[in-house]
Amino acid sequence: MTPSLTLGLRKPPRGARLDPLVLGLLTLFAIPGASRAATPPPGSGELVLRGPDGTAPVDAPRLMTDVTVDVSGPTARAVVTQAFRNTTKEWVEGTYVYPLPEDAAVDSMKLVIGERIVVADIRERAQAKRDYEAAKSEGKTAALTEQERPNVFTNAVANIGPGETVLVRIEYQQTVRHTGDRYSLRVPLVVAPRYNPAPPVVNLVGEGTTTAAADPVPDGQRITPPVLVSAKHAPVNPVTVNVTLKAGFDIGALRSDTHKVKIEETGPQSRSISLADGPVPADSDFELVWKPTPSVTPAVGLFREHVGNEAYVLVAVTPPEGKVGPRSPRDVTFVIDNSGSMGGTSIRQAKAGLLAALDRLGPADRFNVIRFDHTMDSVFPASVPTDQAHLDRAKAYVAALEASGGTEMLAPLQAALKDASAEDTSTIRQVVFLTDGAIGNEDQIFSAIAAGRGRSRLFMVGIGSAPNGHLMQHAAELGRGSYTQISTIDQVAERTRELFSKLESPVVTDLTATFSEGGADVTPDLLPDLYRGEPLILSAKLPRAGGTLTLSGRIGDKPWTQTLDLSSAPEGAGISKAWARAKIGDAETARITGKMSPDAADAAILKLALGHKLMTRLTSLVAIDATPRRPAGARLTSAELPLNLPAGWDFEKVFGPAGERAGPIAPPKVQRRTELRRAAAPAVTLPQTATDFEIRLWLGLTLLGLGLLVARTRRFA
Amino acid sequence: MRALLQGKTGRAAAAALLIVCGLALTAQGAWIPAKAILAQVLLERAFAETLASGHPQKPWPWADTVPVARLTLGGESYIALAGSSGQALAFGPGHVEGTPQAGEPGTAVYAAHRDTQFAVLRSLMPGDPVTVTRSDGTTVTFRVTGRRVARWDASGLDPQAPGRHLALSTCWPLDAVTQGPLRLIVEAERMEQP
Repeated sequence: MTPSLTLGLRKPPRGARLDPLVLGLLTLFAIPGASRAATPPPGSGELVLRGPDGTAPVDAPRLMTDVTVDVSGPTARAVVTQAFRNTTKEWVEGTYVYPLPEDAAVDSMKLVIGERIVVADIRERAQAKRDYEAAKSEGKTAALTEQERPNVFTNAVANIGPGETVLVRIEYQQTVRHTGDRYSLRVPLVVAPRYNPAPPVVNLVGEGTTTAAADPVPDGQRITPPVLVSAKHAPVNPVTVNVTLKAGFDIGALRSDTHKVKIEETGPQSRSISLADGPVPADSDFELVWKPTPSVTPAVGLFREHVGNEAYVLVAVTPPEGKVGPRSPRDVTFVIDNSGSMGGTSIRQAKAGLLAALDRLGPADRFNVIRFDHTMDSVFPASVPTDQAHLDRAKAYVAALEASGGTEMLAPLQAALKDASAEDTSTIRQVVFLTDGAIGNEDQIFSAIAAGRGRSRLFMVGIGSAPNGHLMQHAAELGRGSYTQISTIDQVAERTRELFSKLESPVVTDLTATFSEGGADVTPDLLPDLYRGEPLILSAKLPRAGGTLTLSGRIGDKPWTQTLDLSSAPEGAGISKAWARAKIGDAETARITGKMSPDAADAAILKLALGHKLMTRLTSLVAIDATPRRPAGARLTSAELPLNLPAGWDFEKVFGPAGERAGPIAPPKVQRRTELRRAAAPAVTLPQTATDFEIRLWLGLTLLGLGLLVARTRRFA
Repeated sequence: MRALLQGKTGRAAAAALLIVCGLALTAQGAWIPAKAILAQVLLERAFAETLASGHPQKPWPWADTVPVARLTLGGESYIALAGSSGQALAFGPGHVEGTPQAGEPGTAVYAAHRDTQFAVLRSLMPGDPVTVTRSDGTTVTFRVTGRRVARWDASGLDPQAPGRHLALSTCWPLDAVTQGPLRLIVEAERMEQP
């Protein structure tokens, strides 16, 4: 398989000591051939970015990515290789913002320059940044991988020589997603432009100045790379994806709704999957879905791993489905995002999903619909009974929605969680939230959910080609609901049905996990409630992998218990990393919801990150070549690599009419907002702290004296 | 004016008007520092209750802010309020919105009037200690590292700066009588715990 690209390598390195994958990727660059739809047409060297001094424009480095995933039972190990190619005659630094799965445990990065491989170290973030900057100024080739969000990362590569290609290779571990009998793997390929709400402004009464409150997105600049005007440019950043699937059971159906794939059967339990039409532009997430053959129903997945003196276990158990009893009446609030980022196919999917959901309401249920962009409205002032007149009005309202404007998610979320009858136990209160989650203030949303959820349960429905998985997954966890993903319009019917079977079926509650051996460190520390078809996934660190694990809970109103024998568990790879990554997630949640002080949470995260060599918000991977290469005095220019707009998005809906601005790369509106805001308030603004009491005092006394003088003159006159 | 002053009644009226206005302005002028002193007494009491009960206590029933910390600097001690709105600053130093609590990572910023509480900034020099007792009972000591003057909208203070910093701000120049755009910023850094 050698898909060819027009990106040519000036001097193919002698890669004698390189491993096959890296070699393969280099070959992709090395063989010039017929151009494909995915690659920029020849002569499109228009990806011009300004140099740091604002004088000489430079070409941004070209990027090509290869993703190789090995799925082995419950976990997947992925290798992402990004090739930065410098097409200019200058030394350049390239910065690329890219997504990874929200639960990715990133533990390895390698920098490949010619035939040298530099293995990255994990360091505290500030230290890693300092080391990188030092290497950059010394002329050494260096790479730095930083985490901006649990699912958004930045790679910076400094001192790429003229005409040279440098590879950065990241590896991560993740767990396979599993609902009912459907297993899925998601490879996010593009970071959608995020809307970053401006900080609230407090007016100082009577002083005429304003002071800015806390910015909800202090790092807004870091997550808003330039985006290509889709109408003027062919998509960039070609990607190849290869998956080796070892399911651990006989595979029945296997398909991808997002990309055309070529599937090779390598055994009853294994498949090899690659993209059918070669490289694709990085503009929509890749999703692969597989199901076991109908005869096997693997309800239990149990794996263990020994690292040093410790044992780690990963457990995935699907409780049996409870009988659907008499349905309790429900009060459902639907929230639909009609902001600009939802323009194009996303809003159609969201509307179709919401209309299908409205049809599933029963006569005893109550409902309401809220829509939001940077403003919000609800169809009814409060929830209403489900009758034909109300349904007709809500459906007409939804059908007329159009996508435009910003994404102020906090107010509609709080409105939806506001519960008029919080003490009512006879009805079930549910919030169904349809959005692409293209926002930067995730933490603000999470704390609002933790603070305001009450008895409501929050069901997130992710819409579009590149939704924000971190927001969706985590909001659903905090809201004690679940997350459903609708990637294409064809999935609307199936996924809406699935969501409703969760909303209507009895919930598995009061789950506990008891290890017969003492000293188990379990994550999540509080087991969530489960909906129909959802597995209970937990991992634990144990002194030794023996004894039993007893799970118990209630399905509807019936008790349920299951005991697993840990000593018979098969060995799995990467279980310890999955455990550490989940513990880090727990600590981040505790920090956001105020259960842990920021200091305590940071200390816990740092300890786990350094112990298990994982990248986190506080630790980065840095690789530095030993010898300086850039000649002293040679200039280094920096460029942020542009991203594609996610497939199906409407550029004008997100950034305004493209004609407004000159230049090939329009700064996104969201980004401009940030810049404007930063220009106006680069730091804390200080309040007016002068009183005019002295003036008043002096003026008052002068007037008093003058008055007395006038009075005296009168007496003498 | 002259015609008016020449009349007897006119002159009497002018004198009365001048005296009344003069008294009103004097009273207003005197009320500002008096209010600042009086409020501190009530705030001191509310903060003591806050520390004892562990819950924020309003200093007077209609107050729209709560005491959040006690600042001890230059031999004086003041109770600081949440927020830096004009109303809060009339009573005591304000903890500027969007900055962390003193002692947490980042830069905590307090502002106060130059002619009432933060007149004391005049005498604060590098090396001087500043102690902050928070409403959770923790006491954090900072050491003054420097003083500078900046515009109100270009303070250069980053609430997310690495380390644990404290910044005290008031209007500059300290003895000017009109309001202006400049601020005096006294910066301090948390002392290592023994």
